[in-house]
Amino acid sequence: MHVLLIEDNALVASGICAGLQLHGYSVTRVHTAGSADSVLRSTHVDLAILDLGLPDEDGLSLLRRWRASGQDLPILVLTARDAVAHRIQGLQDGADDYLTKPFDLDELCARLQALLRRAGGRAVRELVWRNVRILPDQGQAWCAGIPVSLSRRELALLQVFCQYPRQILSNAQLEDSLYGLEMNIESNALSVHIHHLRRKLGQDIIETVRGQGYRLGTAEPGE
Amino acid sequence: MTLRLRLLLAIGISLTLLWSLVAGWLFMDMRRELQAVLDNRLQASARMVAGLIEQMPVDVLDVDTSQAQIDIATLDGLACEVSIMRGQITSKTLVRTQGGPDMSDTQPGFGTYRRNGNLWRVYVLEQGDLRIATADRMNVRDTLLQGLALSFGLPFAIALVGSLLLSWRAIGKGLQPFDRIRALLAGRDPGDLSPLPTVSAPPDLQPLVDTIHDLLQRVAGAILRERQFTDDAAHELRTPLTAIKTHLQVARLAIAQGREGGLVQDSLASAEQGAVYLQETLDQLLLLARLDSQQEPTEPQLADVTAAARQAGAELTAIGLDADTRIRLVQRTNAPLSAAIPHSLMVATLRNLLDNALRYSPSSTPVDIDLSQDGAHIRIAVQDQGPGIADDQIAKVTERFWRAQRDDFGSGLGLSIVRLIVDRHQGTLALSNRSGGGLTAEVVLPCAGPAQLNSPG
Repeated sequence: MHVLLIEDNALVASGICAGLQLHGYSVTRVHTAGSADSVLRSTHVDLAILDLGLPDEDGLSLLRRWRASGQDLPILVLTARDAVAHRIQGLQDGADDYLTKPFDLDELCARLQALLRRAGGRAVRELVWRNVRILPDQGQAWCAGIPVSLSRRELALLQVFCQYPRQILSNAQLEDSLYGLEMNIESNALSVHIHHLRRKLGQDIIETVRGQGYRLGTAEPGE
Repeated sequence: MTLRLRLLLAIGISLTLLWSLVAGWLFMDMRRELQAVLDNRLQASARMVAGLIEQMPVDVLDVDTSQAQIDIATLDGLACEVSIMRGQITSKTLVRTQGGPDMSDTQPGFGTYRRNGNLWRVYVLEQGDLRIATADRMNVRDTLLQGLALSFGLPFAIALVGSLLLSWRAIGKGLQPFDRIRALLAGRDPGDLSPLPTVSAPPDLQPLVDTIHDLLQRVAGAILRERQFTDDAAHELRTPLTAIKTHLQVARLAIAQGREGGLVQDSLASAEQGAVYLQETLDQLLLLARLDSQQEPTEPQLADVTAAARQAGAELTAIGLDADTRIRLVQRTNAPLSAAIPHSLMVATLRNLLDNALRYSPSSTPVDIDLSQDGAHIRIAVQDQGPGIADDQIAKVTERFWRAQRDDFGSGLGLSIVRLIVDRHQGTLALSNRSGGGLTAEVVLPCAGPAQLNSPG
């Protein structure tokens, strides 16, 4: 999952980046509203974490602007101001969740997972596809009741497919979700990960849509 | 004592006092008049009796034919006695009212005599051989006087009580605007800072209402500033705290995932850096709070500016700024420069100025600190080669929690602390952009006086 972190304080941002990466997210960190706009224009982002105290634009105004332009990305607002009025304003202006600094890294990740679940139209933390069961926030998967060991990237890729179950995902979007703005990615890395997923969980778990990309297998008797 | 009671007492006492005086005066006057009228009646009665006797045949007065004295029944308290004089000394009483006193020894004219335990007012008329005495018993007069006093004293007393009651009501009514204002103020929530609703108050109360309005507004302003400050302070403390917490959790997670080495080390180093920022912010907030509460360090008002500048530089190096390599100290006089300010505050001032200069200018450029003396003042100029401050922002930089719009730690309190210290010590702070780029912060402080120079310490 590709997270856009908009936080102007370098020390806080580096901590969040490292923490989210350890949880399997790819993170793009920017410190101004302006660069957040340009990231959003150029890549696919699954989630945004927005700090309200930005140097070039008030975080709430950025939020309103994005929502006004139809951007429906899940957004979690971070702020060091804990006044209830601030929180209410943030939520009214289009934030999906709100966390006050200092927060717990585990809580941040749990909230991000919850946002992703809701954005994907699910209310439970478990993903079931035929005889495959996945707990994304735990990083665990079972095939026919037998635990399957997935690498961090494989799990992240599976999570992206489950996040957008009926959509055809282009290579570019999958790469963005998986790697964010990382530069030195092997050109065939994505197909290698898809190959491994098919081998471990069954050939038809991911369908190839010729010329367009991939999507989660359409037959879903498990649900 | 309530205002109402106090007013009532004042009015009541003055009313009673004045009216009692008037009443006393009236009473005395009336008594005198009454005595005069009654005396006149005594006199007139005596004359009347004398006139009647004169009309009688002469032999009536023949002492020899007349027997013992005759008693005439009369009203109680009134007496008359007719006697005939024999020579100069003796007299024979002819007629006397029944129960009347013996008035044979009284002097002519008016007099007051005690007879049989009663006081009598007596008038004696001597006409030829005839001696006529008329008398009033004094206690009858007194009863009359008492009746009179009662008949006009009672209405007076009722009127007095009535006017006091009316005053009590009127005062209560007059004080009602106070009560309304009091009720308004008492019913307010302590957090409610909205202005008072308009109260109908008489013109002489309006200044009080206006003053309360004014006070409320000023308190509201103060509370708003205080709230803003607490909010800002909380923000400043939470940011480094977040950095520390997040990095420590990253380190723990990294260890749990078996990723020893680089990531763990980096996270711990970052957490430590966060702790340094946190400590700095706390120190600055404490200093500001102390300055705000007017607590002055108990040091002498004598600081060696050069030594303070060196100490400030050393402290900045200790927290990881490259102060030792970038700061260039120039002292324009050989004599030591002593400013009239406690040493610790001089260090705080210089440290904040140098901290800003180092942080907001490229790390390859020097920061100059220029010390000179100009008469009774010491001039400290800190110059950097950074971007300076936009002209419209220069006035704002000494506001609390203002900071340059860039990714940076720092409490945003430095320059406001400098301004506060300098103001407290009759100095000035001026910020200006240099023509060649960069910012000059100039502090001018008074020199320590000779007395302070000689003082120990």
